[in-house]
Amino acid sequence: MSTKVKVTDLIKTYGDNEVLKGINLSVENNEVVVVIGPSGSGKSTFLRTLNKLEEPTSGSIIIDDMDIADSKTDINKVRENIGMVFQHFNLFNNLSVGENIMLAPVELKKENKAEAAEQAKKLLATVGLESKFDATVQSLSGGQQQRVAIARALAMNPDVMLFDEPTSALDPEMVGDVLEVMKNLAQQGMTMIVVTHEMGFAKEVADRVVFVDDGNIQEQGTPDEIFNHPQNPRLQDFLNKVLNV
Amino acid sequence: MKRSFASVVSGLAVLITLLVTLGFSTTPAKATTTYQIGTDVTFPPFEFANKQNKYVGIDMDLMRAIAKDQGFKVNIKPVGFNAAVQAVQSGQLDGVIAGMSITKEREATFDFSKPYFTSGVVMAVQPKGSVTKLSQLRGKKVAVKTGTSGADYAKSIQKKYGFKIVTFDDSNNMYEDVMTGNSAACFEDSPVMQYGIKQGTKLKIVTKPAESGSYGFAVQKGKNQKLLKLFNKGLADLKANGTYDKITQKYLGTTKSSDSASDRSIIGLLKQNKSALISGFEETLWLTIVAIFFATLFGVLVGLMGVVPSKFMNGVSTTLIYVFRGLPLLVLALFIYTGIPSLTGQKIPAFVAGIITLMFNEGAYIAAFVKGGINAVDSGQMEAARSLGLPFGKAMRRIILPQGIRIMIPSFINQFIITLKDTSILSIIGILELTQTGKIIIARNLEGFKVWSIIAVIYLVIITLLTWLSNWVQRRTRL
Ligand SMILES: Nc1ncnc2c1ncn2[C@@H]1O[C@H](COP(=O)(O)OP(=O)(O)OP(=O)(O)O)[C@@H](O)[C@H]1O
Ligand SMILES: [Mg+2]
Repeated sequence: MSTKVKVTDLIKTYGDNEVLKGINLSVENNEVVVVIGPSGSGKSTFLRTLNKLEEPTSGSIIIDDMDIADSKTDINKVRENIGMVFQHFNLFNNLSVGENIMLAPVELKKENKAEAAEQAKKLLATVGLESKFDATVQSLSGGQQQRVAIARALAMNPDVMLFDEPTSALDPEMVGDVLEVMKNLAQQGMTMIVVTHEMGFAKEVADRVVFVDDGNIQEQGTPDEIFNHPQNPRLQDFLNKVLNV
Repeated sequence: MKRSFASVVSGLAVLITLLVTLGFSTTPAKATTTYQIGTDVTFPPFEFANKQNKYVGIDMDLMRAIAKDQGFKVNIKPVGFNAAVQAVQSGQLDGVIAGMSITKEREATFDFSKPYFTSGVVMAVQPKGSVTKLSQLRGKKVAVKTGTSGADYAKSIQKKYGFKIVTFDDSNNMYEDVMTGNSAACFEDSPVMQYGIKQGTKLKIVTKPAESGSYGFAVQKGKNQKLLKLFNKGLADLKANGTYDKITQKYLGTTKSSDSASDRSIIGLLKQNKSALISGFEETLWLTIVAIFFATLFGVLVGLMGVVPSKFMNGVSTTLIYVFRGLPLLVLALFIYTGIPSLTGQKIPAFVAGIITLMFNEGAYIAAFVKGGINAVDSGQMEAARSLGLPFGKAMRRIILPQGIRIMIPSFINQFIITLKDTSILSIIGILELTQTGKIIIARNLEGFKVWSIIAVIYLVIITLLTWLSNWVQRRTRL
């Protein structure tokens, strides 16, 4: 096993507000890490610094041996290898479903349109939406949009996937389909960092669960350690709240 | 970021050079036997455009008759009184004839011909009214036009005769006020008043010309003495052979002119002024199209500068929008028309000055809504595009702009219509567009209400056409 992502002493501040207070985390190849924690604890901020949607204030982030905090690194090249899935899907509203998926391969890899379309159709099939290639984004349900968003992120063949609460904006009956797609991805050996409130998914799929509170990793371990033998009182408190509603 | 800043600056520079060269390349070459003579845009009966858009009037006819008599050629340039005077001072024009009074101050910088016309202020009243003398004006209202010698004269005798002064911007309105009985009398230069009456204004002159002054043809002091001699000799010839009287009679004689006898219905006015109105319409349309083109370029450029990730560019964008949206269009037009030449030392054609004015003013509004339209696109769209590895520019072009433009289209249509209407303000710098054409026609025939009605309808027609066109474009761009 080799290390895919290595975060050291990561600090992020907004003005006077220190949101990330020195995070250290390594993620191995093929590992699925689920990040849990209360609202406002800095989970999204952490995920977004990993592909530099947020500029880190200090610390280092090494992905595939490239330091993305270093201004000499071509961040666009690094991003091609990191797929990201957002809470609100963020599909391109001016493009069809197929075009959403083809955009990056055509623009960045200079693939020809026919090849890219071929690949897009295959990806749509893996997320169960082969019939939606020509559909407009607006005609899809939330769950369908999120599966297209996953297909779009996969189109560049990334070796790490970041998920920021991919199911929180979905109606309950749509959640299962999206989690199913993510589970398949994990089984195929994708390296994944997933922020979620879906504890069932964490128990079943995660290799490691990381509990973040107040800008720091408070506890981490296997799903069994975290859910059945929590040590940190904050974690115990958090689990009480989310599991007993 | 440095590179894109340089390209923005060079883009602006190219834009302005393009505009300026466009204007200067149209200056005609000077022929040896032809003198360039400046005159006012409209000052009837001395100079004004006739129905065929040719400059006529006492000054014009005299100048041409003298040129013919003395065997030289003239090229008449109706650039406006102040511009003509300045151009002669700087040697760009050879002489000026524009109902210009011979005064001590002016003789310091100009050499004048022998006086060719004697003018003075007269009082005009209703033909059948009871007022016929200055002494009968006590307690009554008197109409004058701003900035005329008639207004100065009225002020100087106001105390003595005890009347109230009502001021108008335009002769037509001043005459109306007397004809309807609101004011008891008006004061006006005698030739202007005589001409007005000849055109059908129902007033009567009841006093001898007061404060009389002489008009002269002027050249730069110490220069063009040959032209001055030719003018004086020609003037003497015309006076001797009766041509001079014929010319002044033509514009001032008591016989009604053919123009006033002609059809004064709206249809009649349309027919008589067809060519002037068509060329005014074309000029307005052309101004609008060229201005929209450059304003859109400028606006989109400045708007984009407002959204790129560079604090400096954002600041430049905000400042440009603030300045050019803050300046009244009229002030900006005058500033560019007279300000740029004083910096570069080269006269800038009115059309180019007009386009630059509209480019900055309308462009600033466009920049503001381009910026707003882009900012209105959900920020998640940009994040998703960047997270895939698309550089800022590509993400902008492929994802943000197409969505932003759809938001901006109604504002663009609105701005195009405003641009069309704003071209009318450019009449202030003498561009012969629709509004200026209207002013000139009215100066000639004094049919203010009817002519402005015609002009208003023409504007509405253009706006309707423009709206249809925009709606069509809007439908085409919708998916
Ligand atoms: N752009 C920003 N500017 C200023 N403060 C921010 C910004 N983004 C996030 N924050 C602050 O950082 C803190 C952490 O926010 P973050 O979104 O990372 O939390 P989270 O753990 O993802 O919460 P949630 O579960 O609600 O999504 C919050 O206090 C938030 O107000
Ligand atoms: Mg979050």
